[in-house]
Amino acid sequence: MRMKGFAKHYYLMLIPGLLLLFIFSIIPMFGIIISFQYFNPGKGILGSDWAGLEHFRYMFLLKDTQEVFVNTLVIASMKIVANLIAPLMFALMLNELRLMILRRWIQTIVYLPHFLSWVILGGIVLDLFSYNGPVNQLTALFGSQPKVFFADSELFPLLVVGSDVWKEFGFGTIIYLAALTGINPALYEAANIDGAGRWRSLWHITLPGIRTTAVLLAVLSLGNVLNAGFDQIFNLYNPLVYSTGDIIDTWVYRTGLLNLQYELATAVGLLKSVVGFLLISVSYYLAYRFVNYRIF
Amino acid sequence: MKNKSRWFALVLACSVVLGACSNEANNTPAEPTPEQSAKSNEPADPFGRYEEPVKISISIEVDPTDNELPQGDTPLENQYTRQIKEALNVDVDHQFAASGQNLRQRISLAIASNDLPDAMVVNAVELRQMVEADQIADLTEVYEQYASPDIKTIIEKTNGAALEAVTFDGKMMALPGVQANADGIHLMWIRQDWLDKLNLEPPTTMAELEMVARAFVENDPDGNGQRDTIGITGPESGGKLYANFLESKNNLYGFDPVFSAHDAFPGYWLEGEDGKPVYGSILPETREALASLRDLYAKGLIDPEMGVRNKADEPIIAGKSGIFFAPWWMAYGPLTNAVKNNMEANWQAYALPLNNDGEFKPHAATPSTEFVVVRKDYAHPEVPMKLLNNLFKNEQENTFDPSKGGPGYYPLRVVYAPSDEIEFSVQAFREVLSGSKTAEDFADNKAYKLLPSDIASLKTIKNEPYDSMDISTWNPEANWGAWTRTYSLMVGGGPLVDTEYNEVPSLLYEQTPLMESRWVNLRKLEDETFLRIIMGAAPLETFDSFVENWKRQGGDQIALEVAESLAE
Repeated sequence: MRMKGFAKHYYLMLIPGLLLLFIFSIIPMFGIIISFQYFNPGKGILGSDWAGLEHFRYMFLLKDTQEVFVNTLVIASMKIVANLIAPLMFALMLNELRLMILRRWIQTIVYLPHFLSWVILGGIVLDLFSYNGPVNQLTALFGSQPKVFFADSELFPLLVVGSDVWKEFGFGTIIYLAALTGINPALYEAANIDGAGRWRSLWHITLPGIRTTAVLLAVLSLGNVLNAGFDQIFNLYNPLVYSTGDIIDTWVYRTGLLNLQYELATAVGLLKSVVGFLLISVSYYLAYRFVNYRIF
Repeated sequence: MKNKSRWFALVLACSVVLGACSNEANNTPAEPTPEQSAKSNEPADPFGRYEEPVKISISIEVDPTDNELPQGDTPLENQYTRQIKEALNVDVDHQFAASGQNLRQRISLAIASNDLPDAMVVNAVELRQMVEADQIADLTEVYEQYASPDIKTIIEKTNGAALEAVTFDGKMMALPGVQANADGIHLMWIRQDWLDKLNLEPPTTMAELEMVARAFVENDPDGNGQRDTIGITGPESGGKLYANFLESKNNLYGFDPVFSAHDAFPGYWLEGEDGKPVYGSILPETREALASLRDLYAKGLIDPEMGVRNKADEPIIAGKSGIFFAPWWMAYGPLTNAVKNNMEANWQAYALPLNNDGEFKPHAATPSTEFVVVRKDYAHPEVPMKLLNNLFKNEQENTFDPSKGGPGYYPLRVVYAPSDEIEFSVQAFREVLSGSKTAEDFADNKAYKLLPSDIASLKTIKNEPYDSMDISTWNPEANWGAWTRTYSLMVGGGPLVDTEYNEVPSLLYEQTPLMESRWVNLRKLEDETFLRIIMGAAPLETFDSFVENWKRQGGDQIALEVAESLAE
């Protein structure tokens, strides 16, 4: 009886979250109808005329569509890899630090950027890399010519990934640190007695100990392979780097909301959702296979 | 435990209900009540005051960095809104306020979601969209009954261009603004004090422009011992390289005069050699102009951060840039702050550089690019017209003090100016200064609404010698508001009076049907390619493949459509 009441309590706490999910994720899904219509905002979704697959045909004709899909995949994959490795390395290094106070301080400081929005961080990054900014001043000391970093389409994806890692690695570190504290200290003591050095215990105890967490995070992040980060790119890009920096979300935003081509934008958004759905299904299957993680 | 969860559910339920209630409370005032609609049946009076307060929600452009409003005033509560409440009994509310680029996004969002303020100021593309979506009211009668005679005169004097722009199926769907011709003519603004210091003359040709820009970059014109000056300022991130047929006016920091110095008119529909319409951006003259800009950029004479910089006016205000291209009204732009920053920053305007035949050949603009639209079921569709009447009348009477918040704070402001307002004012100032005429001679020119007040303050801000426009002969601190206007007119308008020029118009200033789906992507192709060519990210030869792509991706079809619509 007592246990039952306990469970109810938890379900109740789910309600606000479910409500938000319903309002902001489920209801807007009906908007995909727009991609099959000649959408007229005055008549609304229910009153507009049907267009069949016309917008999808035009979408595949456009060179832009290919370009933004490729850009999204490239940037998002690079982010996934970098955001797995950087926090892992950092957590391992921090774990070796024996001075507890210093460790806590560092941990707090590196995850501060996580709480700032890209509007602010974007401004900071743009300033850092501007023509007269600190980075150019630094490279000038070594005799190189100043460079307009954010006008260089080859560098842009790297800058995006780099600044994303800078913002997020501190937060990712916390998860790994939590996993690290889960390792039984007795194992380290035993290894110590057996004469294992730091490297050996890292290799044979620490890494296997957090393997499950690492694989799980890796697999789950596959669901984000089509989310290259709208707010970040939107705050950093300019027309010069569209060829490598324009992603699906920014393109849909510009096409749909700035240029009033609602149908085309919705069609591309829908395509993104379909591909994303497939990728997420695969990633959950993989999660089930490799680390026995299940949702259903 | 059970009790607690019940409490929680109660709180949750309450918050949902409360949320719904507060929403309702917000919505109600916007709905017209029967009594209010009845009131609008009183006889038409362009300046009539309502007996009951009338509400209108609008969208407005606000510059968040603007600091002209006096202490305690806000964009919603200032000399303009107080005067409107007093004179018309209208309460203005902002449904949304945003800065330049962001405002366009908010407007698009409002159109897409059909969640519109009662009235707003839109551009030609947005107007067309709203007409097709059947979102806005027919204003034919409102205009007939409520437009003040002065505004009617100005609109009629555009030879039908203003009315044509807002007439759909014989109905007038918006109130067109009418801007002075000068807004579409882009001049070269240059730091005269830098020229003087380096013993240079204003550059008249492209070759001289290069020489002067080089001197501005290399010879330390600001005298701080550092090589930190920009020769020519370029567009900011998201800015335009040149004005185009859809946005034919007021392109700040573009390269319009450089293009026209090569007889190139990108973004305009021109008559081709075969008499058919052709798009200026794909012509060989444009390629030439791009090559020359590319060369200037490679030599470091154009701002290396053009196209990336967030605000192009920053180096101008900070005294780090020597040349930029923009229309006459630049004291309303960056120059007031530039001069506040350094009283010796002597910005002068020239109708330069010239083309190979020694001509200044700017592109011409259409008179109406801003339109006031009214939401379809708004109960008082005449309120926006009355607001515009009221603005025009009070500008004639000089009620407002622009130094206590610029005219941009006036709700739904669009400009009504006779097409020659700038040139006429410059002539008038010169005649008054030289003593050949007096203020009384211009008292009857009602259409030139600001002229009497301008003349009244003229001699407080302009010192002798009256024929010199040098910044040292001005006294801006006596009245910054008046100085901003008069300096813009005399310095920025002067070259328009003193120069013989032939304008090149576009054959068309609006979208054709096919453009609605294709133009955006063609524009993107064009903008991106040209910017990359100039900044050296792509070779000049990219221009040739651009022309190919442009034609293939719908450009050729659109050119045919333009020919058809012109034939009609």
